[in-house]
Amino acid sequence: MQALLSFENAPPFAAPLRFFLTAPLFLVLAGLLVAGVGPDIFASRWLPATLAAVHLVTIGFMLQVMLGALIQILPVVAGANLTRPLRVATVLHLGLSLGALLLAAGFVFSRPALLGLAAALLGLSTLYFLFATARALRGVSSTSPTIRGLKLALLGLAGVIGLGMLLALAMGHGWSLPLAALTDLHAGWGLGGWGGVLLAAMAYVVVPMFQLTPGYPARPSWWFPVIVAGALVLWSLAVLADWPVIVRFCQGLLALAGIAFTGLTLRLQAQRRRARPDATYRYWQLGLSASIAALSMLAAAAIFPTAGDLPGWTLAFGILLVVGGFLPFIIGMLYKIVPFLAWLHLQNCGEAKVPAPPMNKILGDQDMQRQLRAHAAALGLLLGAIFWPEGLARPAGLALAFAGAWLAWNLFAATRRYRQHRVAILEKLATP
Amino acid sequence: MSHAKTPHVVDARYLEPPEPFVQTMEMLDRLQPGEKMLLLLFREPHPLYKVLRQNGHAWETELLPDGTFEILISR
Repeated sequence: MQALLSFENAPPFAAPLRFFLTAPLFLVLAGLLVAGVGPDIFASRWLPATLAAVHLVTIGFMLQVMLGALIQILPVVAGANLTRPLRVATVLHLGLSLGALLLAAGFVFSRPALLGLAAALLGLSTLYFLFATARALRGVSSTSPTIRGLKLALLGLAGVIGLGMLLALAMGHGWSLPLAALTDLHAGWGLGGWGGVLLAAMAYVVVPMFQLTPGYPARPSWWFPVIVAGALVLWSLAVLADWPVIVRFCQGLLALAGIAFTGLTLRLQAQRRRARPDATYRYWQLGLSASIAALSMLAAAAIFPTAGDLPGWTLAFGILLVVGGFLPFIIGMLYKIVPFLAWLHLQNCGEAKVPAPPMNKILGDQDMQRQLRAHAAALGLLLGAIFWPEGLARPAGLALAFAGAWLAWNLFAATRRYRQHRVAILEKLATP
Repeated sequence: MSHAKTPHVVDARYLEPPEPFVQTMEMLDRLQPGEKMLLLLFREPHPLYKVLRQNGHAWETELLPDGTFEILISR
């Protein structure tokens, strides 16, 4: 029975694990870049090094973990099976890792050829993933808000990557396009249409499951992905037609939808039945608080556009939403997924004769909580560096690199313990 | 606990995996032919669906306004 539960639908551990183990190294790279460039990197969101650091985090870390986790979780949340999960994982992992590195190098060294190559690599890898996933989802009807969200998130992924490729080519070839408006839209599709909708679709399942909270009420869960996707389509049309008021309306709508989702999640967490706050719970609390702050800034700038021109406003918004919001959500989930998968694979390996060790023997809560404090410190320093770059830029970069390295260490250690337990279980099984 | 749809209920809404699956399979083993059981969860259990399909069970799922999925499974 247990074996059926675990393995009937599960891709091999190696499929998602490669993404989880290399993704934190991109946080280290982003941190080192910030530390290496120093105060100048906080001068504007448009500087090449700033763009490079942003994409090391969003593609190198966020996209990698999200797609790796999706390969694992599609059968569980949608009953959709990729035909060859290991091959999809291998191609995608290589494409995303190389693509993120080339893109960052293209920005830092201002080399249009590298930007073009990165755009092609990232575009093709994502297209391959979208194709494989669409095939798996063919015939799967949207019987739950999670499946509807997942499908709309894939549309968001196509949107952010398509716009990203267009921007890379436009920058490389000097095309005359409204780059600022398109960059905002690119970020909107990435953080809202892809990241936000995917996060919500997964949260509907994992928050009640891992944190023992009540479920998300059905009606807002159905509507949230639709409102976000609808607002982004309208925003895109408004950019094409050059209607700035509609653009601001859409940004305001997205901010309100995001605040409603984060507020609801906070309320559910307050009713959880797990008494002890574990690392995932704390990471999510940090992520929800920082997201509400960031989304309030977005709403304020939609109503009072001059606010967006205040020095440091956009950088503060981006750092709060990405380093304060998305990274904590993702790391918090990684801290549940990796020990759970290790346990599941060990359980299967023991063939119901040798029990798997408990999950806290694979990755201890204290190790995760300490790493969380390092991440929170990095977030504080990054925010501080916006206002005092001379003093804090380099410490902030080093702190981000340190937190990323610690995350990598925790996940590598969990993998090492998993392998040790696996050998021990196989030895026990072999002993007559 | 009992329910209007059937007296055989597994309320797995605040249970951690793999408990919902284990308890459902145990209750299915105890049911008499023609009886039905109800599983309550805050998610759709796709891995369970696959096992039910393989074992020839029929089921109906309903999503309630509070986010509970009611899965009515026939023996």
